Amino acid sequence: MAAVKTNYPDYNVLDRLDEWDSHTREIVRQRLGPFPALKFFSEREAGLIAIIARHIIFDDREEIINWVIHHFDSKMAAEIGEDQRKVGTPPEKVLVRDGLKALDHASRVSGRKDFAALDTDQQFNIISAMQMGNAPEVPDWSHIPQKELFNKLAAVIVSAYYSHPTVWSEIGYGGPMYPGTYLRVEQGLTDRWEATRDGK
Amino acid sequence: MENRDFVKHHCDHYEGHRFDQMNNRKYGDREVDICIVGAGAAGSVLAYELSKAGLEVVVIDAGPFWNPQSDFASDELAMRQLAWNDTRLVAGKNPLTMGHNNSGRGVGGGTVHFTGVFYRFHASDFKVRTLDGVGEDWPITYKDLEPYYTRIENDIKVSGPKKFPWGEFHGPYPYPVRNPISANAQVFRRGCEELGIRSTVAPLAINSAPFDGRPPCTNRGFCNQGCMPNAKYSALIHHIPKAIGFGAEILSDSMVTRILTDKSGRMVTGVEFIHDGMSFVQKAKVVIVAAFVVETPRLLLSSATPQHPGGLANSSGTVGQYIMPHSGHDIYAKFDDEIRLYKGTPVLAVSQEFYETDTQRGFARGYSFNAHGSRPVSLANTLISRAKIWGQQLREIMRDYNFYARITLVGEVLPDIKNTVTLSDEKDEYGMPRAVVTFSYGENDNKLIAHGVAKANEILEAAGGYPAFVVPDTAHLHGGCRMGADPRTSVVNQFGQSHDIPNLYISGASVFVTSGGANPTETVMAIAARTADHLIDKKNKGLLENREKTTRVPAHAR
Repeated sequence: MAAVKTNYPDYNVLDRLDEWDSHTREIVRQRLGPFPALKFFSEREAGLIAIIARHIIFDDREEIINWVIHHFDSKMAAEIGEDQRKVGTPPEKVLVRDGLKALDHASRVSGRKDFAALDTDQQFNIISAMQMGNAPEVPDWSHIPQKELFNKLAAVIVSAYYSHPTVWSEIGYGGPMYPGTYLRVEQGLTDRWEATRDGK
Repeated sequence: MENRDFVKHHCDHYEGHRFDQMNNRKYGDREVDICIVGAGAAGSVLAYELSKAGLEVVVIDAGPFWNPQSDFASDELAMRQLAWNDTRLVAGKNPLTMGHNNSGRGVGGGTVHFTGVFYRFHASDFKVRTLDGVGEDWPITYKDLEPYYTRIENDIKVSGPKKFPWGEFHGPYPYPVRNPISANAQVFRRGCEELGIRSTVAPLAINSAPFDGRPPCTNRGFCNQGCMPNAKYSALIHHIPKAIGFGAEILSDSMVTRILTDKSGRMVTGVEFIHDGMSFVQKAKVVIVAAFVVETPRLLLSSATPQHPGGLANSSGTVGQYIMPHSGHDIYAKFDDEIRLYKGTPVLAVSQEFYETDTQRGFARGYSFNAHGSRPVSLANTLISRAKIWGQQLREIMRDYNFYARITLVGEVLPDIKNTVTLSDEKDEYGMPRAVVTFSYGENDNKLIAHGVAKANEILEAAGGYPAFVVPDTAHLHGGCRMGADPRTSVVNQFGQSHDIPNLYISGASVFVTSGGANPTETVMAIAARTADHLIDKKNKGLLENREKTTRVPAHAR
């Protein structure tokens, strides 16, 4: 996977960890691991989530992928609602679990292998097709709407990825801010702790 | 156990102090004057005004009593809990994104995570049928709401410009205009100036100077995740504590599952609610449902009785109809220099130059522009779900997150009888039918959006940006229990009193007849304050408990 070069090689949002309020600090620190045992996914399912995540976020760093899996697993295990669900789409626990099975079945149709055993390009093609609702025909798709499956997987994965402090640092996101105060908000101005391209 | 810590959260009852158990309810089995369902923008203003006037008020909210210091965090993902996360089924050509996009959960409701943008509606908003031949006229005019707009702005010390160029109110606002403004707001204003479009610093329900023991804004930028310094107004930290001071009781973590009626079906008698798996009743002379655009119709519809088989207050059949979001497209452009969308109050500059109907544009009504900040999780999510961008392209856009500026459209959506909240066959954890929210844009809506998107790109280009991507989105919700003079085509009258049941009231965005093209919170609060005055007047005249004066028998009972 080609590296995406950061604009801010010298910036680390965690340098200010001690300046954050304790609630925020605890929330962010837990994203660095170690993570508890899986509650919803099987090891095999978690492996599939990891593969899909690498395609969606275009990143394969293990520590970040592990956080993504942990977040996904916690979300699936929780009883919190899913905000919205399209009429005709099964509840997310069913959508994701049966959806992962469907992905394997579709992979066997097109590549004669399970999804995990396909090469990267083949995996990418299946995910892309699923996004458009054009994955190889298997009976599973009759109760698993492909686009909704893609959207669910993508939303959870992306939400976790862009909540990881390493990613915050790379994109120059200011991150948590309390009880601190921004004083220099106008264009061209930065407060001393913010990311700058020259690292100064 | 009694708890005298005034700001401990997740407790159930206030009486100057808090209790963890329901057996310490202030009124218990006794009938109170007013029971309000929902402690959001509308319910909290009602609780404050009515308790101040000496009425006995109980407010019941489904969610927690948040403590900003220990419950909020500077984090997008963790703070999704401030939204109503319960699953709603969505349908239509443009199924809505719910949750954080348009709802709040817990005491304070949506005000806990709103951006604080505080607009009045324009006079034209209340008579779009007369002026433009679209939608429907409201049964009230701007003049009816004007004193309440003024009162609310003064009560919470809205900050804003000395001169506001559009609509009926031209300033000055009670508190000074915000200064400095963020880079994103500067870029927006620069682009507008290049094109001869007027812009202004936003009127905001955010302190620009200390007020009421709360500090001025620190530009932390996490308005949508809950304000931790308490610089931003929310019902949680303003109206609710004051209402409690006047004697109101707040029951949190308590889901109202049914509105109760007497045997004749002509009057409501209170509500049933569930706390921690147990069912309770609160009796009241008047019930006000202030549970926003989805839960209000859901509660009315699922409270059906033999006398009201189609749901309470629904002899017209319009409960749940004519719901409207705002078209909320986000228009992004890339700049050579950093903008840093995370920094500062999210909305610091606005324009309503395109608010009023201009027949040359080929569509009715208009929109506001808000220069709007954005954070990584919501940006990446909208890119993938709404613009279908993922993989390498998403990562590359996000790498340059700091170089994007954003303008958000707040576009009027015309009412359509086909856009609805209805009940599904699926039940939720309380045994209530889940809501189905159906929405499709109409032709006028799409023309308006196309105009807004093009204009926003012009502004960003004029400021030196390169138009990058447009994320179709919505914001806010309105309607579903609209007000009107005609009981055959509306649910409540101009005071929020239901046409069918005289002691059942509805307040909040659900009574909106049209959506306007501006953030709705100030109008929600003004309408609630007006309903409060109406009820106080009734109380003073001894009419609050006059149960025999049924003005109307439901159509199906005639």
